[in-house]
Amino acid sequence: MPEAEILPEDPHPLPPPTATFARDAERHLLDAPRHCPRCGAAIGGPGGLVVEWWAATDRVFYCWCRSCDWTGTVVQVDRHIGHEATG
Amino acid sequence: MLTAEQNAELTRVGPGTPMGELLRRYWYPVAFTRQLEEFPVKRVRLLGEDWALYRTPDGSYGVVEEQCPHRRASLAYGVVEGEGIRCGYHGWLFGRDGTCLDQPAELDKTSFKDRVRARAGRAEELGGMVWVYVGPEPAPLLPRYDVYVMDGVRDFGHALLPCNWLQIMENAVDPHHVEWLHGRYFEFLGSRMGFEAPRSFQRRHVKVAFDEFDHGIIKHRLLEGHTEDDDDWAIGHPMVFPYCMRVGGAGIEQMQIRVPVDDTTTWFVLYTVHAPEGAPPPAQTVIPDYELPWRDQHGNHIVDYVEGQDIMAWVTQGPITDRTVEHLGRSDVGIAMLRKQFKQQLAAVAAGRDPIAVVRDPATNARIDLPCEKNKFGAGAEFALQWMNLGFTRYSPQLEDLLRLHTEAAKVRANA
Repeated sequence: MPEAEILPEDPHPLPPPTATFARDAERHLLDAPRHCPRCGAAIGGPGGLVVEWWAATDRVFYCWCRSCDWTGTVVQVDRHIGHEATG
Repeated sequence: MLTAEQNAELTRVGPGTPMGELLRRYWYPVAFTRQLEEFPVKRVRLLGEDWALYRTPDGSYGVVEEQCPHRRASLAYGVVEGEGIRCGYHGWLFGRDGTCLDQPAELDKTSFKDRVRARAGRAEELGGMVWVYVGPEPAPLLPRYDVYVMDGVRDFGHALLPCNWLQIMENAVDPHHVEWLHGRYFEFLGSRMGFEAPRSFQRRHVKVAFDEFDHGIIKHRLLEGHTEDDDDWAIGHPMVFPYCMRVGGAGIEQMQIRVPVDDTTTWFVLYTVHAPEGAPPPAQTVIPDYELPWRDQHGNHIVDYVEGQDIMAWVTQGPITDRTVEHLGRSDVGIAMLRKQFKQQLAAVAAGRDPIAVVRDPATNARIDLPCEKNKFGAGAEFALQWMNLGFTRYSPQLEDLLRLHTEAAKVRANA
């Protein structure tokens, strides 16, 4: 499927193509959760908030749903690690 | 990372914007009491709108939209009278609720003045500052947070900064910046400029935590060498929704106030009360207020004091931080939480409810105590001296008196 077709229905403005991280920003918007894991309401726009941060190779999406007030994180992982030494 | 649309929603404070509507549910300090005592009318700007603030001869306060409803001249150049403010241009008089009480050049027996009204807010004095409320009625109570009503020696440093208030508030839920901006960077500057940076600011963070409460978010830090019984972790201190941070330690109690003047301007006020245990505070007839220098003659930031470093970090993000290109890490979880709290309260207002930290019960408003560590960074009394000598208080006209107050109080405590 071409990327343009999986953009959100109401496309969010992106930084200009010449801006640092512009491509990166686009990928992040495409990957962010769009629906509440609890009630399924849209959370990408006015219906909630999705803030991404990074922890090692994990991408953590801090989500809040305006409909049901659920707050939690969704973690996108490249490799599942059961446990590891923490020193 | 936010979209541009989300960034705009969280940062635009003007009338009619969602955030502007939320922020208009709160009281803001806009002047020092001293200023209105010296001259009874002052132009103030708040949330992207201009107002004329005035003090009547009986000591009560009023605030009206700056432009006169008649011919739009500024009421900040008006005449203050017992009943309100009279426009300097043609003498129209407006009461504290905005009612037009007099139109000297018009006919007496018409209803003209009944059909004219100035937009008015509410204004009150508390703790040496004049506060205004410009939101919908019924107005909430002006919150009596502990710092504003406690005994002690008051000291007000302030600066008008060219950036949005939210990027300053995000700093209030970012504990890690202390060990770098006020720790490593300070030490780096000190080694080259010939001063010793405060060591208590240099401790590494082992972990941080955040708790939401009725008035904002409390942040906790566990520093290297400390236990979970230490104040920084066990108590912490709060970001006070939506525009303050309560901080302090070693007999210095402070509210850092960040008034959203407009989208790209913030009035930063360090409302500070010195009340070290061991010495009764001397009587204070005048509270000094002084402007903090934060740029040198070359336009570079002045970064050899704590708050100058903060200002550098806030202002250099630009007038409004472009959050579409940020890269947050796990240490930024407090920032995500703050944004969520704002979004929750935006939703509350849209649904017709009061957002958090709106106070309506007089019984709870006698004094609102906020959690705040006493033994800051585990540095004991030394913290007060470090903070005064290497923080904004170095610009205070009463610095020597304050140093003496804390030193003498420490002696009394040691001999007790």
